[in-house]
Amino acid sequence: MTDSELKGAVLPALKKPGGAVRDFLRLAMEKELADAVILPMKVPSGDSFAWILMNDISLLDDAVPIAATMPVQGAKALRSLTRKGPGNLKIIAVMRPCEIRAAMELSKLGQVHPENLILATYDCPGAVQLQKYVDDPAGSEEYFAGMLQKGKPDDSAKPVCHTCENFSMFDSDIHFGYLGLSEKEVLVIPGSEKGSALLEGLGLDLTKDLQAWEKGIDQLKADKLNSRKSTFEETKAQLNGFNGLLSVFANCIGCHNCQSACPICYCRLCYFDSETAEQDPDALITAAEKRGGISLPVDRIMFHTGRMAHMSLSCVSCGQCSDACPVSIPVADVFSYVADQTQRTFEYTAGRNDGDPLPLRQFRKAELPGVHELVKDADAEVPSHE
Amino acid sequence: MEDKAGVEFVPSIVGFLCNWCTYAAADLAGSSKFALPPSFTVIRVMCSSRIDHNLLLSTYFKGADGILVAGCHPGDCHYGEGNYYARRRFALLKKVMETLNLDPERLQLSWVSASEGKRYAEVVGEFTEKIKELGPNPIKNSTRF
Repeated sequence: MTDSELKGAVLPALKKPGGAVRDFLRLAMEKELADAVILPMKVPSGDSFAWILMNDISLLDDAVPIAATMPVQGAKALRSLTRKGPGNLKIIAVMRPCEIRAAMELSKLGQVHPENLILATYDCPGAVQLQKYVDDPAGSEEYFAGMLQKGKPDDSAKPVCHTCENFSMFDSDIHFGYLGLSEKEVLVIPGSEKGSALLEGLGLDLTKDLQAWEKGIDQLKADKLNSRKSTFEETKAQLNGFNGLLSVFANCIGCHNCQSACPICYCRLCYFDSETAEQDPDALITAAEKRGGISLPVDRIMFHTGRMAHMSLSCVSCGQCSDACPVSIPVADVFSYVADQTQRTFEYTAGRNDGDPLPLRQFRKAELPGVHELVKDADAEVPSHE
Repeated sequence: MEDKAGVEFVPSIVGFLCNWCTYAAADLAGSSKFALPPSFTVIRVMCSSRIDHNLLLSTYFKGADGILVAGCHPGDCHYGEGNYYARRRFALLKKVMETLNLDPERLQLSWVSASEGKRYAEVVGEFTEKIKELGPNPIKNSTRF
C-alpha cells in the first residue's frame, strides 16, 4: 500500500471526515493551488447526488465530499472534462478509490488526460445501493453514517463493496485516511509528486507516521479478502456453463443499462447497439426450424459474454452495473469474478498507475504456454523462427 | 460418435485463417490433395489479431461445434507482431469461456505457415477428431441463445 517511510499530515477534523476534506479543498482554492474542484452535491430534490465542477468557494459549503451513494461513476465525470486533452485548469477531484481506478483505466484508453488533475481518494466505507438511497434518502444517510464510523459496508451497501480489497489509497495523488485513527483525526497522505507539491504548497507538515492507519487498513483488508473468497466461490458455483448463464441473466430485459453505467464502456457505438449485431430475420427462422423454437430477441447472453471479453481486463468492480439493472441481476458479482480471473491471467490489476499499458496492448515473445495448440515434435515440424 | 438415430456426428467447425500464412497453407493443402474434412468452413481474415472476440463468440453461440483461429508462427507475422497480440486476445477469450464453463476446449489457436500444407491438414484433422469426441455443441439445440 505505502512504503514505511511515507508520512502524512494531520488535518483538523471537527465534523467527520467529509468536513476535513472540505476544509482542505477550501484552503487549496484560497491559496490558488487549485483552480476548481469536482465534488458530489445533493440534487435539488435531495434524493441523489450529482458531480459538480466548482470554482466558486462558497459552493463548497453545500458539497458532500464523501457521498452516501454514487449515481454516476466519477471516472465518467473526469472523462467528460478531459477526453480531448488535459486542459488548462488545475482541478482537484475527490472520488472513491474505484472511481479513480476507473479513471486510470480510461487514461490508458486515451479517454481521460489526468495531467492537470489532482486525484484524491479517501478510505471508502462502501456506497449505499442507488435504489435504496432513492427510496429512502434519510434512512440511507443514517446507514451511511454508521458505515463511515465503522469504515466498512453494511447490508445497505452494494454487494461488491463487501468484497472490495482496494477501498483505500491506490495510486491516487493524495489520500484522506481516517481508518484506525481516533475520531477527530484525519490524515492527508501524498501519493505522487503532484500530491507532495500540493501539500507543501499548503504548508502542511508531514510529521505523522502512518502505522496506526496502515494497521486499520490491513485489518479491514484481511476481512474483505475472506469475504471476497467466499463470494467468489458462490458466484463460481452459479456459472456452470450456458444453462448457468441463462439462469443468472434470466430476467435480463436487454436494456443495456449496465453498459451505459459502466465507466469503462466508453465506445460511442457499441457493437451490441449496432446494426451488425441484429440478426437476419431469415436466419432466425432457420434457427427456429432447426432447434424447434427460439426465444426472441436473441443474443442477451452473447451481450453479457461479449462485454466480459471486451472490458473485464479494465473492470474495477465499482458495481455501477448492478446499481443500474432494473431487474436486480447481480451483474457486478459476475463481472467482478470474471475480471478477477482474466486480470490474473495477465498478472494485471486494473486501476494501477504504474505506466504498465493495458494487457492487450503489450506482449512478451515467450508467454502464455498452453494457449496455442502445442506442436508435436516441434523441431521436426516447424522451422526455427527466432 | 453417433446420435440416437445412428447418424454419424459431423462437427461443423469454423476456421478463422490469416491471409498470409494459414490461408495459403489451406490452399497448398488443397492443391497437394491432402484429405480435408468437408465440414470445416474457412473464413479468411487479414491477420489473426484482427478477429474481434464478438466474432468468435457469435460463432460459438450460433452453434459451431469448434472454432479454430490460425495464423503465422510467432516471429513470422506479415505485419511484424500481430500474432503475439492475437495470442493475448485469444488467451483472454479462452479465460472468459473457462470461467463461465462454456467449454473452452472448443476453441483452438494454432500456428501454420504458408509452406506447411501438410501440417494444415494435420491440425484441421486432429481438431476435427477432438471435436468429434467432445460431441455437438449443446447450444446448437437450445431454444434460447
